[in-house]
Amino acid sequence: MFKKPLFKNPFYMLIPIIVISFILIFLLFATMQLEKSIETKIFEISTSDVFSITQNSAMHIETLLKDHDGNYVEDIKKNTLLQRKIDERLKTLLTPHIKYAYLLYRDNRGVFRFLSDASIHEEKAFIDQKFDVESPEWLQIYITKEPVIIRHTLLQQLSISYLVPILNHGNVELILAIDFSIHKIEEINQIIHTIQNGIVGVMSVIFAILIFVIIQTKQFSAVRKSAFIDKLTNVYNRNYLQKYEDFINLDDYILATLDIDYFKKVNDTYGHDVGDKILKQVANTILLTIRHKEDIVIRYGGEEFLILAKTRRDGHLVALNMIERIFYAIQENQFYISAEEAIKVTVSIGVNLVPHKSRTFQEAFKLADVALYNAKTKGRNKIEIYDENENTQNTCMSLNEIKEAIEEHRIRCYYQKIIHTQTQELSHYEALLRIIDKNGNVILPNKILPTIKGTFILRNITKEVLSICYQQLCQYPTVSISINLNPHDVVDESILTILKLYAEEKNIAPRLGLEIIETEDITSREDAKSNLLMLKSLGYTTYIDDFGSGYSNFIYLTEIETDYIKIDGTIIQKILDDKISFLLVKNIVAFAKEARIKVIAEYVSDASIYEMVQSLGIEYSQGVFFSTPSPLIDA
Amino acid sequence: MRVLIILITLLSFLSSENYTFLVQPYSKEVELEAKIIAEIATASLHGKIKLFIPHITVMEEKVYSKYFTLSPKCEAANFVFVNKNLENETLCDNANRLFFTNNYRKLLSDDKYFGALFWNKSRPNIVFIQKRLEKREIELPKTFDQFVENF
Repeated sequence: MFKKPLFKNPFYMLIPIIVISFILIFLLFATMQLEKSIETKIFEISTSDVFSITQNSAMHIETLLKDHDGNYVEDIKKNTLLQRKIDERLKTLLTPHIKYAYLLYRDNRGVFRFLSDASIHEEKAFIDQKFDVESPEWLQIYITKEPVIIRHTLLQQLSISYLVPILNHGNVELILAIDFSIHKIEEINQIIHTIQNGIVGVMSVIFAILIFVIIQTKQFSAVRKSAFIDKLTNVYNRNYLQKYEDFINLDDYILATLDIDYFKKVNDTYGHDVGDKILKQVANTILLTIRHKEDIVIRYGGEEFLILAKTRRDGHLVALNMIERIFYAIQENQFYISAEEAIKVTVSIGVNLVPHKSRTFQEAFKLADVALYNAKTKGRNKIEIYDENENTQNTCMSLNEIKEAIEEHRIRCYYQKIIHTQTQELSHYEALLRIIDKNGNVILPNKILPTIKGTFILRNITKEVLSICYQQLCQYPTVSISINLNPHDVVDESILTILKLYAEEKNIAPRLGLEIIETEDITSREDAKSNLLMLKSLGYTTYIDDFGSGYSNFIYLTEIETDYIKIDGTIIQKILDDKISFLLVKNIVAFAKEARIKVIAEYVSDASIYEMVQSLGIEYSQGVFFSTPSPLIDA
Repeated sequence: MRVLIILITLLSFLSSENYTFLVQPYSKEVELEAKIIAEIATASLHGKIKLFIPHITVMEEKVYSKYFTLSPKCEAANFVFVNKNLENETLCDNANRLFFTNNYRKLLSDDKYFGALFWNKSRPNIVFIQKRLEKREIELPKTFDQFVENF
């Protein structure tokens, strides 16, 4: 099964060469055959008239002899008038091309003798003159009793003899023979040579065109190859993957995604030129470690590389060792940021050892990416191997499973109460994503989102959740629900269109909250900001989710005029034991009060945290202390 | 080096005899004719053959000398092959020598000739006359029977 990129496998370059060779051999044989048939045809055309005339002459002589009704040989010998008539008849056959015409018989000894000869003067043979023939083919006519063509190869002046039998009582008694001069065949050969030259010319032109096509194809391949090479790192770029991903045989490789740890920091600290230098050196280290004729390295994103390591028949151990060598080579290497100064760089690698279990390359790649995600979440500078069982049971669903869940309407929303901290009365619900798998198990978002991060499926899930919540809002007119949007949803036209449609309906937008995780992506995009403001103007309530967890921008909060901030659950969990977490929450709350933004504390899991949240003056609380997420709204 | 080239050139000129046939007139017919005459002469005569060809050409001399000892005079020869038209020319007598011609008409008209090798319809034809063979006590091998005419 052909799966390897064409120019990576020289075997497949042989295919066009073999095909062309076969075509040329076929053309050669066809030409030889054509030459033969043309030669035969031309010979037929040039001689058929002469042969017919000779046969007519033979018939005429036979008719003359039949009138005498006796032994033809004796009749001719005795009858001078008959001899003259036959001579005259034979003379009519002579042309510039027919050199001789004569009538022969065979005596008792088997010697051929002349009875009549159209030649004149010295060349004219006497009656009964012996005639030595050079070929045993002459005797054939006595067996076949049919005209015979004899081609001469040894005689210099003659090319062909044509013999016509004259029968008497069913036996060949006389032979009328004509000899073609060599000029006739020379003329025929000339025509054939002209045709041959024409065919050779055409063949040469075809051959030249084929050579030209091969050269052009090679050049085109070379140009195309250069389009597939990343100029900075000298490894394949994403174009290569897009072009050839369908041809990669997943049985032959293991997939590894490699990401340079904290590369953004390198760029921010030393500048992009140094970042490029590091990228080059990392790529070079990878290239020095891989097996050149077997493995493929692709720069997939900014600092993300994809390595296709070729497996052997006996397993993937060699390929995995190679990935490990890359990991340690980078770890041990010094990466120069200037002539003197060098820094250490580490990488996180996610490996998919079973890409053949995936239906498409993208699916297999995604699983390697899931492993990479795991490596990053476990603290980076790690190789994580995608474990099918672990990821199925404990971590992530596969893309196909999620796709099937959407198609089979197994997307669900569980609702968790958000209460007024002081009164513990219900404020609204947060809709939490769940998928019911084929066995009826409820799958949590942490097993779903890593797989679909950055794919269109995430967008489809958001639409599903929006649809479910809309139905709930319609069913329970007094209930408010907030849903989670990822940053890309805010700039997605299809989702914005849905939200605009909902907003046209009465009493939907004010009861639908939009929780957005604050990331660098969203704060730097002007269209995201304007869209959030637009959504707010439509009546939607906006929330900044997981505030304080990573990227927190106080100015941005005021810019997008958010209604709520939800303090990250991990900070709330540590609020009792960790002073920094406590101070962080205290300051966020103080800022929020000043900015007239309401605050929600997540992960309030017990009474002591609740008391602390209460004492800090956080208006809203959410957590298992009050309610666990439930598929039903308690209206 | 220059001396070597001059030497090679000189040697080439000296041995030019071996390949000048390419620029000299050459006939396969003469070669074939010489071979047949050699067979006939060998079959007809015992002992060493001394061939005389009247008005022999340079090329004939070259070709025939490969098969025969050529005699410059008719008197010194024991086999005479007359292959040219010799009108009114007297050759030596036929007492101690055999005469062969390349002309069928001459064979028929002059009994000095015991046989002829001639080109008939561009084919080589050989004829021996039985009576003349007997008169000269020539016994040809059986393979020559097809060429012997009894008249």
